[in-house]
Amino acid sequence: MYLVPDGDELEIANAAADYIADAMPIDRLHAANSADLRADVRRGLGEMGWYALALPVAAGGSGLSPVEHALFFREVGRQCGPLDVMAQCLAALTIDDAALRTTIVSGEASVSLAVADGEDMRLFGAADADYALLVSRDSAKLLDLSRCQAEARPSLDLALTMRVAAHDLPVIASRNGEYVWMMGQLATAAQLVGIAEAALDQIVEYAKVRETFGKKIGSWQAVRHPCADMAVRLEAARSQLWLAATAMKENHGDAAVHLDAAKHQANQAATANADTNIQLHGGIGVTDEHHAHLYLKHSLVLAKLFGGRRELLSRLLHAELVD
Amino acid sequence: MDLQYSESDREFRAKARNWLTANIPQKRRPANGRTSADFDREWQRKLYEHGWAGVAWPKECGGMGLSGLQQVIWYEELARTRAPHYINTTYVALMHAGPTLIARGTEEQKAHHLPKILSGDALWCQGFSEPNAGSDLASLKMRGEVDGDHIVVTGAKMWTTDAQHSDYQELLVRTDPESQRHKGLTWLICDMKSPGIDIKPIRTMLGDEHINTVFYDEVRIPIGNVVGEIDGGWSTAMATLSFERGLGFIGDQLELYERVGRAIDMASKLRLEDGTLAIDDAGIAQKLAWLKTDAMAIRAMTLADIAETDRTGQPDPKGSMMKLLVTNTHKALSEVVGDMMGWDFLEFNGDRSAHPWTYDYLWSWVFSISGGTNEIQRENIADRVLGLPRAR
Repeated sequence: MYLVPDGDELEIANAAADYIADAMPIDRLHAANSADLRADVRRGLGEMGWYALALPVAAGGSGLSPVEHALFFREVGRQCGPLDVMAQCLAALTIDDAALRTTIVSGEASVSLAVADGEDMRLFGAADADYALLVSRDSAKLLDLSRCQAEARPSLDLALTMRVAAHDLPVIASRNGEYVWMMGQLATAAQLVGIAEAALDQIVEYAKVRETFGKKIGSWQAVRHPCADMAVRLEAARSQLWLAATAMKENHGDAAVHLDAAKHQANQAATANADTNIQLHGGIGVTDEHHAHLYLKHSLVLAKLFGGRRELLSRLLHAELVD
Repeated sequence: MDLQYSESDREFRAKARNWLTANIPQKRRPANGRTSADFDREWQRKLYEHGWAGVAWPKECGGMGLSGLQQVIWYEELARTRAPHYINTTYVALMHAGPTLIARGTEEQKAHHLPKILSGDALWCQGFSEPNAGSDLASLKMRGEVDGDHIVVTGAKMWTTDAQHSDYQELLVRTDPESQRHKGLTWLICDMKSPGIDIKPIRTMLGDEHINTVFYDEVRIPIGNVVGEIDGGWSTAMATLSFERGLGFIGDQLELYERVGRAIDMASKLRLEDGTLAIDDAGIAQKLAWLKTDAMAIRAMTLADIAETDRTGQPDPKGSMMKLLVTNTHKALSEVVGDMMGWDFLEFNGDRSAHPWTYDYLWSWVFSISGGTNEIQRENIADRVLGLPRAR
C-alpha cells in the first residue's frame, strides 16, 4: 500500500512537466490563434512517445500504466493544454490496425475529440484534424473527418476551438468496452487536478508579494482561509485521483467507481479553485492578460467531459465498493 | 503506487472482523453519567483481555504495535460492525495521555499508568484550555508553584470533557510566573481525587454535562508527576496535539463512508412529508452522492497519509487539512439527513442511541471546535502547508 507518486513514477512526472511546460506553456494562450495543438508540437510529442505511454509494448508503446498516464495529463492540465493531446492518446488505445495506429502515435495524423450533443456532435481541437474520437462508456469510435461539414462556434475556452457537426461520420476503427472511456476519464480528472494545483500555486505566490494596508495579503485571514480551503479541496481530489489510477492499474473490480468519484472531486476542486484564484487576485484577476481566467474557462470544459456532475452523482449514489 | 494489502494485513482484517462480530456488546451504551463510563471501562477491559487494546501503542508498552495500515483496518472494522464508538470516556487516556507518557514519561510513570490505561482501569481527562486560553493556548495563566517536592496548583481549567469520571488528568500550568507564551509551562499528571479539586459541569447544547470547568484550590501534586521538564511543558503538550491532528480522528475519517451508506439506505426507505421517497428527491440524492465522494476522498487521503507515515516514521503534516475536511463533511451529512427526516429529526432527549443523527448534528460543532477550531486549522494550513506570511 503506497499512494504517493514515487520512484520511476516521479521521473516520468518530472520529465512530462519539463516537456509540456516547454511545448505548450500557458502563456501561449495570450497570443492570437493559439487554440488547439499546433502541427509541429503535435509531431514533437509523437517523436517523444508521449501519445504511447500507456500503449502496450507489443503495440509499439511504452507499456506503462494508468498511473503514468494520469501523471502526464496532470502536467497537460497545469498548462491548460489542448484537448487534441488526449484525443491523440485515446485514439492510439482504440485502434487495432498497426499502420493506422503508427500514424497517430507518431503525430503524423491528427485527431480531435468528438462529444455527442443531442442530434449533433461537438468537435474540439484542430479544425484540419484528420479524425475525431468519439468515446462513450461502452465503446470508442474513430471517425473520418475528411468529408465532414462542421460549423464553427465561438469558444469560451481559449485553449480550444469548437465546431458542431452532424452525427453521421464514417467510423474507421472502434473498440468495445469501457477501457478507453476510463482512460479518458482518468486523463480528464488528472488535467483538472493540474488546474486546481496551478490555481492554488498562482494565488499563494501572489499572496506572498502583493501588499494591501501595508501588509502582504497572505497575512490577512480573509485571504489565508480561502487559500487553506483551496489546498484542502486539492488534496482530497488529488488523493482520490491517485487511488483511482492505482485501482485501475491493478484491475480492481471497483476501479470505475473510484474513477467516477475522482472525476467529481476533480471537477469541484478545479472549478472552485479557479474561481477563488480570480477573486483573491482582485482587479488584476479579471484582466485578459492574467492566467486566472484561462484556468476557469478550461476547467469548465473539462468538467463536462467524461462525466459531469449529474451523470456522475446519479451513478455514484448506489455504486458499491469492493472490500 | 500500489493498493495491495499484504497477506498478514488481510488475515488481520478477517481476525478483527470475526472477533468484533462475536464480541460487541449487545446492550446499548447509556447516554450519560457514571453508567456510561462503566460501560466504556467494561468494553475496554474486554478489548484488553482479548489482546485488542492500544492498537497504536508499541508492543513494549503493552500495545498491539500495529502498523498505520493495520490501524486503518481496525477502525474500518469497528465502523462496519458498529462496535462502541472509540471516542468515549477512554479516549483521552488511550489517544492522548498514553502516547504522551510513551513519548516523554519516565520508566516509573509508564510502569504505573500504561497498564491501567490499557485495561480501562484508569480514565483520563485533559486540562489544557482555560476560560481565557482556548485557541490561543499559550496564553494560559493557571499557576503552579514549586513547594519542596510538590507543585501546588491554583486556578481553573475549562472544557474538560469527562472530568467527573476521570481518575487522572493531563494538566498544563505556568510554573514560571515571569514567563510568557510557550515558555515556563509544566505538564503534570494530576490525580483527580486530590483534595482541593472542584468540578462544575457545563451543560452543552446537546443537553448533556460531559464538559466541565475544574477549579483547583492549592492542589498538591508530587514533583514525580511532572512529565518532561519543569518549565518545559509546551514541548510535552505538543507531542499530544500533533498526535490529535494526525491520527486522533482516524476512526471518524473511515467511519464517514459507512455513515453516508447508512444515510443512503435510510433515504431509500424514508418518505418525505408529501409522500415522495427521499432518494427520489433530486436535491437529497445529489447531496448524498456528493458526500459519498467526499468520504471516498477522505479515505484515499487517509491511506496515502498512513502509508507515507509507515514508510518515513514521521507523522504527516497534513492533519489540519484532514480535520477540516472531516468536520465539514460530517456536518453536511447531518444537514442532509435532517432535511429528509423532517419532524423526526427535531425529536431529541439527549440520548445518542435513541436519536443518533440529531445527536451527531449537534456534536458537529463540538467536532469543529475541539482540538483546534476550523479557523485555527486554516491558520495551520496557511502557515505550514502553504508557507504564507505569518499573521501572528
